[in-house]
Amino acid sequence: MIQKKICILGAAGVGKTSLTAQFVFSKFSEKYLSSMGVKIDRKTVDVDGKQVNLMLWDIHGEEKYKKIPTSYLRGASGIMMVIDGTRPATLEMAQEILQRVETELGTIPHIYLLNKSDLTDAWSINDDDMQMLKNTGNPVFLTSAKTGDNVEASFLHLATALVTA
Amino acid sequence: MNTQHPIPDIISQHLAAYHIQTLAPAWIELTPQTDQIQSLGGAWQSYFTTNLELGSSITSACEYLQGMLPIQESFELPQVQMRNDKYTDILAFHDAQTQTDWLLFCDVTMSTLQLQEYQQAANELNLLKDQLNQTLGRFVGEEVAQRASNGTLQFNIAGERKVITTLFVDIRGFTPFNESHDAQDVMHALNQYMDCMLKPILEEAGMVDKIIGDGVMAVFGVLASDNNSADNAFVAAKSIQAKVKALNKQRGNEGQDQLGVGIGIATGDAVLGILGSHERRAFTAIGRHVNLAARLESNARIGEILLDEASVTALDNPPSFALVSLTLKGIGKTHAYSLTS
Repeated sequence: MIQKKICILGAAGVGKTSLTAQFVFSKFSEKYLSSMGVKIDRKTVDVDGKQVNLMLWDIHGEEKYKKIPTSYLRGASGIMMVIDGTRPATLEMAQEILQRVETELGTIPHIYLLNKSDLTDAWSINDDDMQMLKNTGNPVFLTSAKTGDNVEASFLHLATALVTA
Repeated sequence: MNTQHPIPDIISQHLAAYHIQTLAPAWIELTPQTDQIQSLGGAWQSYFTTNLELGSSITSACEYLQGMLPIQESFELPQVQMRNDKYTDILAFHDAQTQTDWLLFCDVTMSTLQLQEYQQAANELNLLKDQLNQTLGRFVGEEVAQRASNGTLQFNIAGERKVITTLFVDIRGFTPFNESHDAQDVMHALNQYMDCMLKPILEEAGMVDKIIGDGVMAVFGVLASDNNSADNAFVAAKSIQAKVKALNKQRGNEGQDQLGVGIGIATGDAVLGILGSHERRAFTAIGRHVNLAARLESNARIGEILLDEASVTALDNPPSFALVSLTLKGIGKTHAYSLTS
């Protein structure tokens, strides 16, 4: 079976654990529980008739004084970069993380998840920011860990891209 | 304290025993440059649910190490949450002296759970702060919200004198529209036009002083900005007219009524301060030019921006305006500068 390691990265509170839980267990909890270190989950998906075992590394949120150790990313095939659509500062942090990863480990294929798309009234990512992300050439998904919107589609998109690359 | 003395052996032994007991270490020696188990020791049963056989691959029992072995250079995976909810620090290193590769597992559950409590509180506070900033930002703009959050937003309760620019904008023909349409439709239309008016003001570092029915009073220059206050107000006014025009086009396509706005801008001395009692306070700007801006707005036609002389003089790059002569209520005859989109 094909194995792929995917790291889920982003600032604290953007919904990394919720997205993973929605994808792996089809569960969502309103309660926010701060992640420590890394939690590794697995899910087997079908990509063009091939079984692919995804190893999902749900890594703690990046903070000013608590950087993500790049050792977690060793052997990673892809990155889900999660941004909270209601907090533009998390977009800046996503770019900082990617820059650091690229400096230390080189380019790793990644996609952007603009999460919390169900919170339309609080949405704060404007069209310019969206365009800027699209201009990087990496896929951008509007997701909601709460409703499940685009969650499976985004994980499958990255899995397919990694298998067919 | 004299730090010259080495740590006595007995202390070292106690420290080592204490930490070994706390960390419950397990170690696995790998056949050099492979992922095969050569030997193992310590409390390895508490880290693995399956039996570890000598000569077998560690990655089949510990699949998250896939892609990381053989050990090319030392690395550490801190706080890995295991299936039994224990947190483990995993250290991988090569001993150059003995040419051996090692994996060391240490139980850090206790310290991680303690840290998590602090982390949880800190993250919740940060999320709450972001949420409050966002809510406040909707009323007073991002800049004011940021300053309020940083504690750098201060107003002198006795009043501070400053040159500011005041902008009034009002929807024309709103009263008859209100009387001839369902309240739900009116509310929807009002929100659409308000969006066109408020966003440009906030984007240009303006402060929304009041929303008066179908109109808005905003002040510029209260907050430090790279541009001058008249420039900010004028840019906001042009943006408002452009947004209203685009909205009207969209409403026209949908077969809905179209409304226009008139804008008045004036610049001058004002006293800024806080009005009200201890329980309910509001920021306000008082000055003669404030009244002038209001009067200019009530004379502005649909699509028109009327500015007083002080505002036009303060503009860095004034466009070509039409000079108009007006008789304003309570002010009398005055000149104003008109720009119609």
